[in-house]
Amino acid sequence: MSLPRYLVRRLLLGVVQILLVVVVVFALTEALPGDAAVTIAGDNPDPATIALLREQLGLDRPAWERLAEWVLAALHGDFGRSLTGPMEVADIIGASLGPTLLLAGLTLAVVVPLSLVLGVVAANREGGRADRLITTATLGFYSVPEFAMGLLLVTVFAVQLRWFPPTAVGGGDLLSRPAVLVLPVVVLLLRPICSLSRLVRAGMVDALRSGFVQQARRVGLPPLRVQLAHALPNAVVPAVQQLARTTDWLIGGVVVVEAIFVIPGLGTALVDAVSSRDLPVVQGLAVVLATVTVVVNLAADVAAHVLAPAAEVSR
Amino acid sequence: MKRFLIPGALVAVPVLLAAFGPLFATGGTGKDVAFSSGPGHPFGTDFVGRDVWTQVLLGGGSVVFVAVAATACTYLVAVPLGLVAGMTRHRLVDEALLRPLDVLLAIPSMLLLLLLAAAAPSSRWVLIAVVTVINLPDVVRISRAGALSSAASPAVEAMRLQGESPARIGIGYVARRMLRTLAADLGTRFTGAIYLVASASFLGVGVAPQAADWAAMIDRNRTGLFLQPWAVVLPALLIVALSVGVNLTFDRLLRKRKSEVPT
Repeated sequence: MSLPRYLVRRLLLGVVQILLVVVVVFALTEALPGDAAVTIAGDNPDPATIALLREQLGLDRPAWERLAEWVLAALHGDFGRSLTGPMEVADIIGASLGPTLLLAGLTLAVVVPLSLVLGVVAANREGGRADRLITTATLGFYSVPEFAMGLLLVTVFAVQLRWFPPTAVGGGDLLSRPAVLVLPVVVLLLRPICSLSRLVRAGMVDALRSGFVQQARRVGLPPLRVQLAHALPNAVVPAVQQLARTTDWLIGGVVVVEAIFVIPGLGTALVDAVSSRDLPVVQGLAVVLATVTVVVNLAADVAAHVLAPAAEVSR
Repeated sequence: MKRFLIPGALVAVPVLLAAFGPLFATGGTGKDVAFSSGPGHPFGTDFVGRDVWTQVLLGGGSVVFVAVAATACTYLVAVPLGLVAGMTRHRLVDEALLRPLDVLLAIPSMLLLLLLAAAAPSSRWVLIAVVTVINLPDVVRISRAGALSSAASPAVEAMRLQGESPARIGIGYVARRMLRTLAADLGTRFTGAIYLVASASFLGVGVAPQAADWAAMIDRNRTGLFLQPWAVVLPALLIVALSVGVNLTFDRLLRKRKSEVPT
């Protein structure tokens, strides 16, 4: 399939995916027991107050009507207003985007180079001590839940050794207190680094055994150049696609890590919104998170299509 | 055998505790001072003053049981779907089975987990269903790929020409050829389920407020981390050991089979 045709198809699928996410999220939040009116009414709900609130919030109209209205407004950049506070949904998202982007960006900035190094080192010492150590560790920690690892690290490094603060509580800008960010980033990078470095290693092992690398060696190219310019580019194609799947892990990880370290990001906003049944906020956050996932996956599929056009791309 | 020692021990400790712990939980559920450490409480007390060791003995079953059940359900649903998608000669059937799963992939799994959990009453069965749904797309894809490669083989073609029914070819031949691929996937799938179940329980999903549960223990006791770390450290260590141990054990098992049976 030619690249423009593939792009169009893939873009269309992405739009459909995001729209369906909106519908699914809407349906699920509809099914939540109780609604925002009950939440706002507080501890002593009086049926008359609840009915009045429902009318004011427009909750008494049919669900499909509210859904259609929401989609139309969202296309104009209006995500509605929080049901439980005075803020616009777009403002809530804007305010909590910063800390989450900072965490995710820092994590990626560490994960990508580190997993390349680990993968290349392991592949070059295939079967050796360093390789066995790296493969065992990356396999073992592949799916350790962030919260368990996170709280163990907090116990050791924050409670016992007191090297880092246990939470981000204390106000102020996160960037001005880099010590706060160390433990969250370490916890977040754990899972992605395991999967990525394993893929880089597998790709490198194949590449180093292949004819073109041996030929490059035979003609006397410098070893570093053979590694970086000849073997590595061929080894990273599977890792590029896995990097896209990593977004899903990062989003999940961010929710947990923000809960542990009390960081006011998207994850905290999501957990708060779900527990207070704040439908517009949940919808807005869900669309943002789903869009990120869809866009990253799209970019990775296109990158893989460009890097290896002959190989069958998963979608 | 030596290389199974450490992974095996890592799995055995949490699994044995989960399975037989409740039999030894003699400490009772009486309440003492919260986050204290005193005689009669080898690992202190928790946030409401219950004995931490008793809670650890009682709380492993839910994580292990839910993860096993969710993994089993995933395969029960996904393998037949993948088999049909891989063997069918109608493109439409294939697309109809796979496209809805693409949409599922676009929803971040933690978002799905939070929403479903909030929408349904907190129960194990809901959690099993949610984890099954989240794992479904991957396993369907893997089974489809496995079925696709052997459905095009000369053996299957010959069976078709002999007039064997599709069901018989599918179950008797293609599915059996898929087993090896699926076995390679089982370990990561199971630890993936442990990951989701434990993370969900940590976020307060699928656990009753009074229930003993390792992941929920970690969440509820973390306010007392400075006073009494055991209530957090003990369950956290057990969950980490289970996850690391299962992955390593499956890897050793597969490698052993690979070296014995040349492929």
